[in-house]
Amino acid sequence: MSILEVSGLRKVYTTRLGGNRVEALRNVNFSVENGEYVAIMGESGSGKTTLLNILAALDKPTSGVVVLDGQNLAKIKESQVATFRRDNLGFVFQDFNLLDTFSLEDNIYLPLVLAGRPYREMKERLDPIAQRLGITELLKKYPYEVSGGQKQRAAVARALITNPKLILADEPTGALDSKSTDELLELFGEINKYGQTILMVTHSVKAASHAGRVMFIKDGEVFHQIYRANNTIQQFYQKISDTLTMLATGGDRR
Amino acid sequence: MKKGIYSRLALTGIKKNKKLYIPYILTCIGMVMMFYIITFLSSSDMMMNYPGGETMRGILGFGVYVIGFFAVIFLFYTNSFLVRRRKKEFGLYNILGMGKRNIARVMLWETLFIGAFSIAVGMALGVLFSKLAELVMVNIMSMDVTFGVTIDYKAIYYTVVLFAVIFFLILLNSLRQVHLSNPIALLHSENAGEKPPKANWFFAVLGVLILGCAYYLAVTIKDPVTTLAAFFFAVIMVIIATYLIFISGSVAFCKILQKKKNYYYKTNHFVSVSSMSYRMKRNGAGLASICILCTMVLVMISSTVCLYLGKEDSLRERYPRNINITMTSQIYSDLISQDANSIAKMSIETAENMGYSPENFLDYSTLAFVSYIRNGEIVFDDGESGFDYATGDLWQIFMVPLEDYNRITGSKETLENNEVLISTSKDMNYGYDTVSIKGQEPLNIKTKGTNFENNGVDTMQIIPALYIFVPDLGVQIERISQTNAEALETVSRFIGFDLNASDTEQVQVYDAISDNLRNSEIENPDSSLVVSVESASNEKQSFYGLFGGLFFLGIILGIVFIFAAVLIMYYKQISEGYEDQSRFEIMQKVGMTKREIKKSINSQMLTVFFMPLIASGVHLAFAFPMIYKMLILFGLVNKVFLIMVTVGCFLLFALLYMLVYKITSRAYYSIVSGGKEK
Repeated sequence: MSILEVSGLRKVYTTRLGGNRVEALRNVNFSVENGEYVAIMGESGSGKTTLLNILAALDKPTSGVVVLDGQNLAKIKESQVATFRRDNLGFVFQDFNLLDTFSLEDNIYLPLVLAGRPYREMKERLDPIAQRLGITELLKKYPYEVSGGQKQRAAVARALITNPKLILADEPTGALDSKSTDELLELFGEINKYGQTILMVTHSVKAASHAGRVMFIKDGEVFHQIYRANNTIQQFYQKISDTLTMLATGGDRR
Repeated sequence: MKKGIYSRLALTGIKKNKKLYIPYILTCIGMVMMFYIITFLSSSDMMMNYPGGETMRGILGFGVYVIGFFAVIFLFYTNSFLVRRRKKEFGLYNILGMGKRNIARVMLWETLFIGAFSIAVGMALGVLFSKLAELVMVNIMSMDVTFGVTIDYKAIYYTVVLFAVIFFLILLNSLRQVHLSNPIALLHSENAGEKPPKANWFFAVLGVLILGCAYYLAVTIKDPVTTLAAFFFAVIMVIIATYLIFISGSVAFCKILQKKKNYYYKTNHFVSVSSMSYRMKRNGAGLASICILCTMVLVMISSTVCLYLGKEDSLRERYPRNINITMTSQIYSDLISQDANSIAKMSIETAENMGYSPENFLDYSTLAFVSYIRNGEIVFDDGESGFDYATGDLWQIFMVPLEDYNRITGSKETLENNEVLISTSKDMNYGYDTVSIKGQEPLNIKTKGTNFENNGVDTMQIIPALYIFVPDLGVQIERISQTNAEALETVSRFIGFDLNASDTEQVQVYDAISDNLRNSEIENPDSSLVVSVESASNEKQSFYGLFGGLFFLGIILGIVFIFAAVLIMYYKQISEGYEDQSRFEIMQKVGMTKREIKKSINSQMLTVFFMPLIASGVHLAFAFPMIYKMLILFGLVNKVFLIMVTVGCFLLFALLYMLVYKITSRAYYSIVSGGKEK
C-alpha cells in the first residue's frame, strides 16, 4: 500500500519583480510505499528543497497532486495545515532546528504539547524513544551543551514522538562529522526496520546508500531511480556513484 | 574614488540600518533640542522682569544639570545597543580585509554624520520651539506675552560643546568595543550559545524583602519631617528592589512555573513560560529601567501637577487672608492694648476708605515657640545644640487664648484652669491625654481637633504645629517665664481680612496700609509693637514662579524621560524581533499554527510591556502617602484632590504607554514575519 502519492507536480516561481519565471519542478511523479526508506538526490537547484517543502505542506504546488495516506494535501484547509503537519509528518533538518530556549526534553515534547497531550502520556512516549536513541542521559541538557550528533538525535526523537506516517529528512547529515553521520544513518536504518517510512533529501552518496531506493532529480523531474534490493551498502554506494557520474557527464537515459 | 569610501561606507551603513538609526538620531535631536530649550529659558533675561522669575530661573538651572546628565547616560545606552547590532557588519568588513584602523575611520565618519546632523537639526528645532516653550511658561506663570524670537548664543555654545563631548565619548566607547573583539567573534557575536537562565533565589527573595521594607516605610511614615529623609531611602530601596525583582525574581517565578509540570506542559504556557525566562534574563535590567523611569515620570508629573493645580490653596495656606497683619511684642498686654487695637482698626478703615469692604476677619494672639514633646511634656531646647529634626517629635507650639478660639470658631467652650483644648496640623495626631510644660502640673486635654485657622507661620515650616488653647494666655506666659524664661519668645497677634478686589487693587490697599503704619510708627516711636503687613496678591507672582517653575520642569523632564522609556522599549522590541525570528520559523516547521505563534507572542509582549507599567503603578500607589506628606509642607492638604490628580496622571500616562506599545509592537511583528518570507 502506498502511503505517499505524487503525480504531475509542477511548481513555478515568479521572481519578485514579476519578470522571470523559474520552473523549479516540471513534472514529478512517484509514490512511496508504507515502510519504505527513500532517498532523493540531485544537484543544487534541481528542485529537491522545493519538493520537500511541498510534501511538508509548507508550500503549494502550481499544479499536480500530493496524496498522503489517502488525503489530498491541497484539500486541507489553511487553518488545519499546521495541525496536519504536526500529526502526520516528522521533520529532521540539516541544522537541527532545536529551540535553544528549551532543554532537549522540552524540545522533544514540543509537538505533543502543541497537540494538547497530558504530561504523563508524553513521558510514557518519550522514555522508550530516548532509550532507543541513546539520549536518556542528555534529556535535561540544553542544545548548546551537546554535540551536533546528539542534537540531531534529539531532533529525530522529536520527529518520532508523534508517531508520524512519514518522516521527512532534509540533509540530515549535512552538519555532522563522519562518526555522527554513521551513527545517524544506522539509526535511520534501524527506525526504518521498525516500520517507519522515511523520505530523505540528500547530497551525500553515503547517506543515500543506506536507503532502500534512491531517486535522482534533475531539472525539476525525477530522472532516474535505483533500488538497493539485495546489494550491500558498499555495492549500492558504488551504483549510486556511477549513476551520479553518468548524470553529471550528460548521459541521457531517454 | 578611494577618497570618499569611508564616508560612503558610513552613510550606507546608516541607511541600511535605518530601523535602528532613525530612532537613535531622533533621540539625539530630541535631547539636543530639550537641552537647548531649557538652557535658553534658564538664562533668559525675559524672566528677570517678573516677580518669581528668579525662582523659576533657579529651578530651570537645576533642570539643565539633570537633563545634561541624563543625556550622557541615555545616549550611551542607546549607542551601545547599536554597536552590538552592528558588530556583525564590522566583522564582515574585517574579514574582507579592512583593518581595525579602517573600521575606526568608518565609525568616525558615522559619528560625525550623526553628531553634526542631530546637533544642527536639534538646534534649529530648539530655537524654533524655545519660543513655544517660552509661551507655555509665560502662560503657566501668568506673565505678559512678548513677541519675537530670540536666539541665545551662549545657550547654543553650551549645547554644542556638551553634545560634541558626548558624541566624542560615544565614539571612543564604540572604538573600544570593536578593538577588543576579533573578527570571528564579531561575525558570530549575535548567536553565541546562551546558557539557560538560572534563578538566583537569594536575590529574588532579597528583592521582595527590600521592596516590602520600602513599602512598609512609605505607608507607616507619620510626620512630614521624617518623610523628607525617609523618602530618599525609600527611593533607593525601591530602585534596588525593582532591579533585583525584575532580573532575578522574574526568572525564579518562571522556574517555579516550569516545575509545575501540569501547568507548564500546556499549549498556552509551554512556549511562553520558557521564552519568558530567557527574555527576562536578557531584558530584566532594561525592563527595570523602564519601570523606574515610568515611576520617576509619574511621581514627578503627578506631584508637580498637584502643586501647580493646588497653587491657590497653597497660597491661601501661606497667606490665610488677602491682607495679613502681624504684630509682635515682648509683652502680651501690649498686644491687646488700645494701641494695638487702633492699628487693627486703622488698617480696616484704610481699606474701607478706598471703597472696599473687608470681610472674613481673623484675629488672635499666640505665644509661639518650637520645642520637643516627649511623653506629653513640652521640653524646651537648651538653645545650644540646635534642633534635631530627624527624631520627629519636634513641634511648633502656638498657645492661643480660649476667647480668641471661641470667637473664631463660633463655639462657646469653657475651660477649667487646668484644662486645655488642642488642635494639630499637617495630618499629625497628638498621642497623649495631657500636655505639660516642663516643671509644671500637666494640663488635661478636653478635646482634640485638627487644622485650626492657619496664620501662615505653620505653612512655612516643615514641622507640624500644635495649637494649645488656654483659658488665660497671660497667666500661662507668666508661669512659663517663671520656670523657663530662656525659652520664652515673643508673643504675636495675627490680624487678617479678605477684600473683594482684584490683585492690583489689593496691592494698592496693601501699599496704603503700609504707608499708614509707617506714619503711626513715626508718631509713636516708643511703642513696643513691631508691625508687619503682607498681601497675598503681592506675593502671588513669586509663588507662581516657584510652582509654575516646578511644574514646567516636571513637564520637560517628564517628556525627556518618556522619550527615554519609549526608545528603550522600541529597541527592546527590535532586538527581540531579531532574536525571535528564527525561533518562530522553527516553531512553524514543527507544527505551530500562525495563530498559536501570534497568540504566544502577544501574551509575552503584553507581559513584558505592561509589567513595568503595573509595577510603576504599584510603586506610585505606595509612594503616595509620602508624596502627600511632602505636599502638605507646601500647604496642600486636600487629599481627595491629590489622589484624583495622581490617578489622572497615571491614566494619561498609561494611555500614552499603550500607544507606544501599539507602534513598537508593529515594528516587532514586521521583523518577525519578515523572516518568514525568506
